[in-house]
Amino acid sequence: MGRFVPPSRRTRARAETPGVREKFLLFRVGDEIYGMALRGLREVLLSDGVALLPASPSQVCVALAHRGHRLPVIRMRALFEGAQAGMPAAARVLLTEGQGRPLGLLVDEVLEMVEVDPAHIAPVPALATLLDPACFRGLFTRKDRVILLVNEHGLGGADEVLQFNAAGT
Amino acid sequence: MAQANAAPVEVSLGATATLIFLVAGKQFAVDLARVERILDYRRPTRTPRRPPHVEGIIQHEGRYLPIMSLRKRLGVEGPGPANPAILLLTGIGRDPVVGVVVDQVLHVLSLPPDRLLLPPPRVFGIRAEFIRGVANAGGRPVVWLDESKLLTSAEAITLLA
Repeated sequence: MGRFVPPSRRTRARAETPGVREKFLLFRVGDEIYGMALRGLREVLLSDGVALLPASPSQVCVALAHRGHRLPVIRMRALFEGAQAGMPAAARVLLTEGQGRPLGLLVDEVLEMVEVDPAHIAPVPALATLLDPACFRGLFTRKDRVILLVNEHGLGGADEVLQFNAAGT
Repeated sequence: MAQANAAPVEVSLGATATLIFLVAGKQFAVDLARVERILDYRRPTRTPRRPPHVEGIIQHEGRYLPIMSLRKRLGVEGPGPANPAILLLTGIGRDPVVGVVVDQVLHVLSLPPDRLLLPPPRVFGIRAEFIRGVANAGGRPVVWLDESKLLTSAEAITLLA
């Protein structure tokens, strides 16, 4: 009889096997397209079910009231573009886990799911962004467009998220 | 301009082959040995929270290259030419190759040491720390840049007329 392997571990093992394609959810922030690994995604919340607690417009990490809990949500547009982030009708919160704690990513629009060979994921050039390299898993090309993949664990280690969790708010 | 490999050039003993190009009407040079290719301009994918002079990333022959605007690095305001060029340069920062957008590529110039002058404290508003030397080419000054220092520094520069 084969050894029992939890579903999450099975998924991870599959994804790390060379030549096996990994699934990513693509989403839009501003004019650019980004992706995150589907295996890290817990739930996608519609914008009309999301109540972000009051915060200054430029604040990167805000609180989300969700099923009796207050979760940190990163407004990706504020993080990536320094822009004051509103809540467009197509906006969604991607619920994931960053460094073992719940984390939401507020994106402008969810687009589609794609499969990518992990061997085709390259590192992000050092000079391309001022953000911590840990925020990105890498990048790949789809339809002549370069798509950056976020790393939810790196985002969960962002100063704003750590301060949110430390404050217990 | 078609994609081109940097062409070999005859260089006299002790001289350095440089590539001459224009930014905002001024002649600049970089060490030709650092120029891997010259590409037609194409719009990069914008990257999040990039430095002001970084335009984004392009993919070229399977590699992902950060693209920087020399106009923006030198604080030149206003739109550039419709068809700028991208110099692929090696040896800048931690990335193996970076793309640098310039207004127009002119020619290759051999710079012997006796034609090079030490720069004054500032040339066109650029501090001497970012300059390897200054030369005269056809009656016009050429500023030989230390591209590695220039492109990895955060010091603000405003190119003067």
